Amino acid sequence: MLEGRVAVVTGAGRGIGRGVAILMAQHGARVVVNDYGVSGDGRDPSSEPANEVVAEIVKNGGEAIAVADTVATMDGGARIVNAAIEKWGQLDIVVTCAGILRDRMIFNMAEDEFDAVIATHLKGTFSIVRAVVGHMRERGYGRIITFTSGAGLFGNPGQSNYGSAKSGIAGFTKVVSRDLGKYGITCNSVSPVAGTRMTLTDAYFKAREVRKAQGIVREERGVASIENLSPDDVAPMVVYLASEGAGNVNGQIFLCAGPSYALVSYPRPVASIFKESRWTVDELLETVPDTLMAGVANPAPPREEKA
Amino acid sequence: MKKHLEGKVAVVTGSGRGIGRGIAILLAEQGASVVVNDLGCSVDGAGQTAQQADEVVNEIKAAGGKAVANYDSVSEFASAKNIIDTAVKSFGRLDILVNVAGILRDRMIFNMSEAEWDAVIATHLKGTWNCTRHAAGILREQKSGRIISFTSTSGLYGNPGQANYGAAKDGIAGMTRVVARELGKYGITVNAIAPVAQTRMIASVPRDKQQAAQASRGIVTPKASAASTIGEPDDVAPMVAYLATDAAAGVNGQTFLVNGGLIARVSDPAPARTIVKRTRWEPEELAAQFPRTLGLDVPNPAPPKPTA
Repeated sequence: MLEGRVAVVTGAGRGIGRGVAILMAQHGARVVVNDYGVSGDGRDPSSEPANEVVAEIVKNGGEAIAVADTVATMDGGARIVNAAIEKWGQLDIVVTCAGILRDRMIFNMAEDEFDAVIATHLKGTFSIVRAVVGHMRERGYGRIITFTSGAGLFGNPGQSNYGSAKSGIAGFTKVVSRDLGKYGITCNSVSPVAGTRMTLTDAYFKAREVRKAQGIVREERGVASIENLSPDDVAPMVVYLASEGAGNVNGQIFLCAGPSYALVSYPRPVASIFKESRWTVDELLETVPDTLMAGVANPAPPREEKA
Repeated sequence: MKKHLEGKVAVVTGSGRGIGRGIAILLAEQGASVVVNDLGCSVDGAGQTAQQADEVVNEIKAAGGKAVANYDSVSEFASAKNIIDTAVKSFGRLDILVNVAGILRDRMIFNMSEAEWDAVIATHLKGTWNCTRHAAGILREQKSGRIISFTSTSGLYGNPGQANYGAAKDGIAGMTRVVARELGKYGITVNAIAPVAQTRMIASVPRDKQQAAQASRGIVTPKASAASTIGEPDDVAPMVAYLATDAAAGVNGQTFLVNGGLIARVSDPAPARTIVKRTRWEPEELAAQFPRTLGLDVPNPAPPKPTA
């Protein structure tokens, strides 16, 4: 489905990005496998993960090169994009998977924990997209697939950095789709749920033990346990979005959890009140609870004080 | 008239002008002591003057309210701490944080410079996080508090030419959802407002283009468009004041659109339709299924220009 195309996949040394790079190569794309090769929290760069994925693609008869550069700087983004154009003369597809985690409750989060996560995810998505859009616009063709997350779309405690970055990528995707659609370029975002080193952490397994001890077992409610959701299940959706046939799919977000794929809705007004003149605070105190907020629960209500 | 924020202390960032100014004045009218924070820069972030914040403080004081000015930048972690500390130093506590401060540097993605990206992310996204981060400890300790941040339809729906601003503003929406879930159990609420108002920030965009863009996103109700579509900046303040009251304790993690007299609760993103298989999808079968399932009646918001 991607014969003749050239793709850049960031964060493709491991996890979801790896599966995307391999499937794209299987479908005929020549792939720049980008991975900075850092630990889950962004330390100790290494070119090994990218090289291993390239070796795997080449062994199976595909074409790929490794670029072990960071996406978090504009120069890094440009070098990754230029590697594809220099090698194969064109770049049709960019997929921005690169990311790190530094989870902490906001009242304890350090500034550098916020900055590092924003730099990798949000700036790292901008750096790649910004570097390639001129080329795509000139050629009148392009497919951009970014990665967002339920952590930002729905809100995960302990992830004010990651949730902000990922929700920011969703907004970025919506804007860029409108900036570039008329030039034959699409920009969509994937919100994956999968068991990878980013999600299957010590904290995750500890939290699961706590839930079990408290008798809260999500699996019994039919909720798939994240370690049973393969990262490789995400790749087919990305390959489809990257294909020529998906030319009219633009500005959308897709939730991919195993072989379950969902279109995510745009936010929309679900309850509204209207007045010809300005509202007063007294009027709102009287009106809002039974109108805008009817039936809406506090997602984290105050803890009962122990007697 | 009963005052609903008697004894409360509020910080309103970016309150020297526009929407923030209206909020600072209304919170003061409702009895709150207010830190009027404004860097006093131009709409693209250049230059600084104490004049705007001072004028709002004088206006509040002249009306019998309590306020102090602060001129620190929200975008630096240390100076944002000064803003929060000003509330505690001047009035002994902090109850309400309203994150309004923002700038614009619009440009199509293919022309946007790194500096334009960085400045907008720093002011909106980092600025909101900085102030929230410094307030969170204080509010958590006293087991009460209200945080109201500002998002935008630009991020929620996507406005061309605003990749930086849209990313920052949808990022703030995500931050609001996260922090609401972190702090709710401590008696703190965190909500977001997406204002549609005629301020100097929006005045730079041609009017009919705005209306066309809004209509294409389906966010103009017949009534609101009859009422000329764009509200006044001061129309936003009552909803912020409401969210700041003790009575709004159950309202947490929500986003509200405010345009003149129209106020709407906006849904969080959610799966709208789903396709499921027992085994992994093949891209080819997805290509066959997609147009009649997930992609059915989902228009391209910016379809390719027909080639002549």
